[in-house]
Amino acid sequence: MWLKRLLTLIPVLLAAILLQSYFWVPTYETQAKGNPKRLLKYIEASSGDAKILNPILNADSASSNITGMVFEGLLDLDENLELRGRLATHWTITEQTYLLVDPNSQLPSGEPATGALLEQRIQYALDTGALPELKNILLDMRRLPSELQTTTITAQVPGDGNQTNPLSVSISITIPERLAFTLNRVDQDFFNRLAPVIGNQYGTHFQHDKYLHNVDSVDENIVAQVKAQLPSLLSVTEHNPEILFHLRHGVRFHDGQEFNSTDVKFTYDSIMNPRNISPRTSDFEPIKTIEIFDTHTVKIIYKRLYSPAISAWTMGILPEHLLNDVAMQKEMDERNLSKATRETFSMRDSTFNRNPIGVGPFRFVEWQSDQFIKLDRNEDYWEGAPEYEQYIVRIIPDLLIQEVEFQTGAIDFYSTLPHQVARYREDDKYQNFSSLGFGYVYIGYNNRKPLFANPQVRRAMSMAINVDEIIKYIMYNEAERVTGPFPKVTEWYDELIQPVPYDPEGARKLLASLGWKKNAEGWLEKDGKIFEFNMVTNSGNPIRKNIMSIAQNAWKKIGIKCNTQYFEWAVFLKDFINTGDFDATVLGWSMGIDPDLYQIWHSSQSGPQQLNFVGYNNPQADKLIVRIRQEYDRSQQRILTHELHKVIHEDQPYTFLYASKGTRILDKKIVIVEPQLDGSERYKKIYPLKSGAIQFYFTKWRKLEHTPAF
Amino acid sequence: MWTYITRNILQRIITLLIVSIVAHSVIHLAPGEPSQVDPSNPRMKPSDIENIRAAFHLDDPLHVQYVYWMRDLFTGELKSFKDNQPVLPKIWQRFLNSLPLLICATLIIWSLSFPTGIHAAMRRGSAYDRTTTFTAYALISIPGFFLSYIMILWVVNTFNVPVIGMKTFGMEDADVAFRLMDRLWHLVIPSLMSAIGGIAVLSRYVRSQMLEVVGQDYVRTARAKGLSEDNVIYRHALQNALLPFVTMFGFLLPALIGGSVIFEQIFAWPGLGRLGYEAILARDFPVILTINFIAAVLTLAGTLISDLLYAVVDPRIRLQ
Repeated sequence: MWLKRLLTLIPVLLAAILLQSYFWVPTYETQAKGNPKRLLKYIEASSGDAKILNPILNADSASSNITGMVFEGLLDLDENLELRGRLATHWTITEQTYLLVDPNSQLPSGEPATGALLEQRIQYALDTGALPELKNILLDMRRLPSELQTTTITAQVPGDGNQTNPLSVSISITIPERLAFTLNRVDQDFFNRLAPVIGNQYGTHFQHDKYLHNVDSVDENIVAQVKAQLPSLLSVTEHNPEILFHLRHGVRFHDGQEFNSTDVKFTYDSIMNPRNISPRTSDFEPIKTIEIFDTHTVKIIYKRLYSPAISAWTMGILPEHLLNDVAMQKEMDERNLSKATRETFSMRDSTFNRNPIGVGPFRFVEWQSDQFIKLDRNEDYWEGAPEYEQYIVRIIPDLLIQEVEFQTGAIDFYSTLPHQVARYREDDKYQNFSSLGFGYVYIGYNNRKPLFANPQVRRAMSMAINVDEIIKYIMYNEAERVTGPFPKVTEWYDELIQPVPYDPEGARKLLASLGWKKNAEGWLEKDGKIFEFNMVTNSGNPIRKNIMSIAQNAWKKIGIKCNTQYFEWAVFLKDFINTGDFDATVLGWSMGIDPDLYQIWHSSQSGPQQLNFVGYNNPQADKLIVRIRQEYDRSQQRILTHELHKVIHEDQPYTFLYASKGTRILDKKIVIVEPQLDGSERYKKIYPLKSGAIQFYFTKWRKLEHTPAF
Repeated sequence: MWTYITRNILQRIITLLIVSIVAHSVIHLAPGEPSQVDPSNPRMKPSDIENIRAAFHLDDPLHVQYVYWMRDLFTGELKSFKDNQPVLPKIWQRFLNSLPLLICATLIIWSLSFPTGIHAAMRRGSAYDRTTTFTAYALISIPGFFLSYIMILWVVNTFNVPVIGMKTFGMEDADVAFRLMDRLWHLVIPSLMSAIGGIAVLSRYVRSQMLEVVGQDYVRTARAKGLSEDNVIYRHALQNALLPFVTMFGFLLPALIGGSVIFEQIFAWPGLGRLGYEAILARDFPVILTINFIAAVLTLAGTLISDLLYAVVDPRIRLQ
């Protein structure tokens, strides 16, 4: 019966047609099957789409990942996390300092200071060898005549209700005679070194008001505000660090235009242009001016000592010729924008942000929103074209699908979740890299509360907690113990400092020596009050919650009563952290590469909404923090940071817990290619840097057809 | 016959009008704002939101908005709130993506259900019948998305082949044959998964239809004539048992657009169902309403076609 046969035949045939396709599809092991070009593509998964492909405007990791490939900065960080020249071949850091002549000050000899006299005395001291340290660093000294300067400053005028509105006021001031010094390196102690000549009290009685020439306003309130701002405008001593960048020759943007000094200055100007609302303004704010010497030499002059400002030059450089006013006008004309739109048009609105052009190793090709962003290699890259032909970021919001696609070889890299790491570690199809991150987790005590005011009490609190146990049972050993505020992977961290030992008995004794005695119920008591406090953290973080439980239990064992509470993140910040209205909290910091701890630890930063919310206040630490951010010499900085680490460790404002490790998984077929002198190639296993980054040699990565043996 | 068709079409147009008005009101009155004018979006300034609201006519009365929508829909001017792309080409593009999935799933359903259903009916009460019955109920009861996830994980872990999306990413430069086969392979699992429920239901339906027909007098007569069992079953019984299934062809039309939202979501298939789902999440009113409108048109057309087909294949039925 034909119908019967047909009814059986059709499903069998259908199944055969459908299933045979399996044999054509590439698997994880045979990614190049029928598709040899797959090996030349690097495909990465991202949970979110990029927002704006402009290095000075983006603030999200998906965008900065792409701009990092398309654009390049003057500098970057090398394997040892030290600055390395990219678009700048080399650079020198010098300093220009200024000393105002203050006629109210008396020199040690008793004479009132004048420009000529100061110059003569300093020169004499140098010639006679009285200032040996200065002689080595001082290149030049000259006297600048007094001048009249007109400038605008911003005053606040009352607006509606309690609000105030900014108002620009034009003022003119007489800048008195000055001595200018050129130094061959940055020296934050320069004026201290001059003290034997100019006296310790020099400039302390400088009368700023006398130099205010004219204020373009009759409002007394405004005049008072102007006067209040004078000391910062007319500083008796001024440090102006200068960086002279020598730029690389022959580097071309992806459109063929050669990169030069104007691009550097333009990038800075664009960041500081208030219309662009760049999130990087604070990094570049310390810059006073940028001087272009020639097409490949620029000098950056800073307003004040602030060493972290140098690393801001790792940011990508924009092409001036595509984004300057002329180009913007042209774009507005081409897009036929209305007059109202033209008035508010800024770089943020430019189509450049969806079609970026830089000098980086990859050039932008295509961006399909919510699907993928495609980059092609830059054959003209100054360091040689990358091995990969294409760099593609796929947007896959679902984390499960990311993993599934990774296992089939349809993507090469994705951010692995901690629980997925264990699966891959055993599997020899993949290579994995585990390294410490830049963050750490801590228990913070509100140093303002009388209960925690004494460092000895905080030390006892730390002694009661078994941190190794937390690392073992909560972090599954995916963490390392830390003792202080610097990231453990940086040289700022002092490895020699020993953690507070786990010693509940010692903690009890220490508290007993401070007057805390056990009462009938087993709680510690002093002056009729038991040792009791509240600890808060945000809800939705099981790790912090577990840490709280372990700490609560540990303290209970030595007679301390701790009550725990969880709040939703926004509430937690608003009602507890920002107001400083808490006893203790479990939190974590994610640190940067710079040793600047000003925002988190300086006592001036302990107000509402500020980051030193535990109210840590130690004048010695304050001094060190300021010195660190003003120090330009790396080895000096390291000495200072180790000192600061020790001070903070001894004070135990936090119980420092651990820095967690991050693990990344990569296809084992990806290797680093090293060309040999004889023209052959050698494969090298990919290895993580000190910072944990694996993509440092990305341009030399190649995907092989078969897993190599090392 | 022709008066029947004309009358039915007119009736259906009125139904369509009512459906579109109800859908329009329900969707506009439901809580939530289009994501572009969501006041909690930190990137939007209040003045921008005002401008966009005005451009979308969101502040006009509902009936005026309805008129705008209808006008734009029929002039082809209708644009999505989300990306300002014309709605109809967008839907057409997604429809073309969904089509292979639907065709493949339908082929699987129909080609598998008939043999299994007929066999089960012929061997009623046998181990085969009991197994298929059990399997069918099991497959009906297990949620499709759950089975799909299990299937994805199993296939990926065992064979290490990609199953997500319409094609393997990064295959753009491969040979044509490989690209075609890759597309076909990506069809297999999602269509099988979306077919499973259909196979279970339809094979049960075939079984009961066959059982009913086999008990009829004319089947006994055919057997009495001495015809072979195959001849009796496949010629005399099956033809009559097929009658009710003819009407089901009509219902395939609305399935074109309803598609399988869940499976397209799970397999990241850029189809029509997913477009509708994303439009609902973003409160993209023009897209939601248009898809809804087209679905209504197709449903009404589908029922009309079923009625007509039934009259064609079953001589006992006359359309008045």
